[in-house]
Amino acid sequence: MSNTSGQATAFMALTPIQPGEEAALRSFLEAPPQDGSPLARLAGTHFARWVILRDWVNDPSQPREERLESPYLIFTSNFDGPLDPYLDELCVKLTPEAREIWGRCVGCPPDATGPQLKAYLLHNKIDTGFFVAAYPNSTVAQVKAALAAREQLIAFAMRAQDMGPDELFRAFAEEF
Amino acid sequence: MSEPAAPPGPDTATGTDPANVDGQAIAITVFSTVKPLGRLWLPLVFWFATTFPRASGTLGRLSFIHFARWSLVTRIPFNGPPQREEKLNYPHLFFESNFNGGWEEYIDAFSHILTRGMKFFWGTSYGFPQPLPTGPFKTYIKRNEIVASHFYGAYPQATTTMILSSLELAPKLGAFKARAKGMSPDAFAAAWSEFLADVQECL
Repeated sequence: MSNTSGQATAFMALTPIQPGEEAALRSFLEAPPQDGSPLARLAGTHFARWVILRDWVNDPSQPREERLESPYLIFTSNFDGPLDPYLDELCVKLTPEAREIWGRCVGCPPDATGPQLKAYLLHNKIDTGFFVAAYPNSTVAQVKAALAAREQLIAFAMRAQDMGPDELFRAFAEEF
Repeated sequence: MSEPAAPPGPDTATGTDPANVDGQAIAITVFSTVKPLGRLWLPLVFWFATTFPRASGTLGRLSFIHFARWSLVTRIPFNGPPQREEKLNYPHLFFESNFNGGWEEYIDAFSHILTRGMKFFWGTSYGFPQPLPTGPFKTYIKRNEIVASHFYGAYPQATTTMILSSLELAPKLGAFKARAKGMSPDAFAAAWSEFLADVQECL
């Protein structure tokens, strides 16, 4: 079991979708977000997704078929720091969407928020066996800052190509 | 339910469904049914790969992966009715990756660079056709892939290479800024040229 890589954590929850709610849930999740993804409100989220698992994929070589009793909702996230504070934040900042998402799953607390939602997600947690990250010790904030600094430097280097020493010195001091 | 997944939408230029794409980032989500032996084998593979990361260092050569994970699902949590308790006859292997580039190139690289590792991870899955040749393997992955209903990336326009370069550059730029203070314009111009030569691979 390895839910962490450096400072990054992997989380996965597998929750049963209530009978008759799959289409509505799918429609909500697949609708283009009007104000961007709600997951952007969780500043430590690198990548996350919701996926609907309708059934297992059976291979002809299996001795017998395996079928799910109901469709399931998978939520996975790759984020900064430990799980507890991340879920605390998620269960507050995602409250409006959580009612539309996990509120359509069996066993979700009626108001789909706060400690009850956190307990529900933890109850349905699936541990990660092997987790790899390309930049495991860098937070989202650090990644964004580094990307911005690189862009800024590239833009400055392009502008500075024809500058003489005095102008270059002055421009660099102003820019950085 | 007879079909495992909703019909996929038309693929984008990246070779995958638009729902799997956020900017340059692509999501892949795959489930495979595992032979009983995998219940013992895969935890060992996970332990080995986690404990001896250098041995699985070939993953690092796949420079377009941001985050990837494997999980072995051996039980499904029960929440009470109306959920029916799931009694699994087989373990199921979950794989997800967040990467940039194209779906085809991703699978090609996985097959060619991680050939042995792929056998370790998927060798106990029913129907796994071996990583090479890539054609049957791509068909296998497509068949086992689930399209994301919602996929989010915090920095969707950035590739892994851009991020690694930026993270390498950041402290060098900080050090240069500190060093530049107090230089004369002529000394700064010379130092600037040296700095650019030093960090050119990060730009």
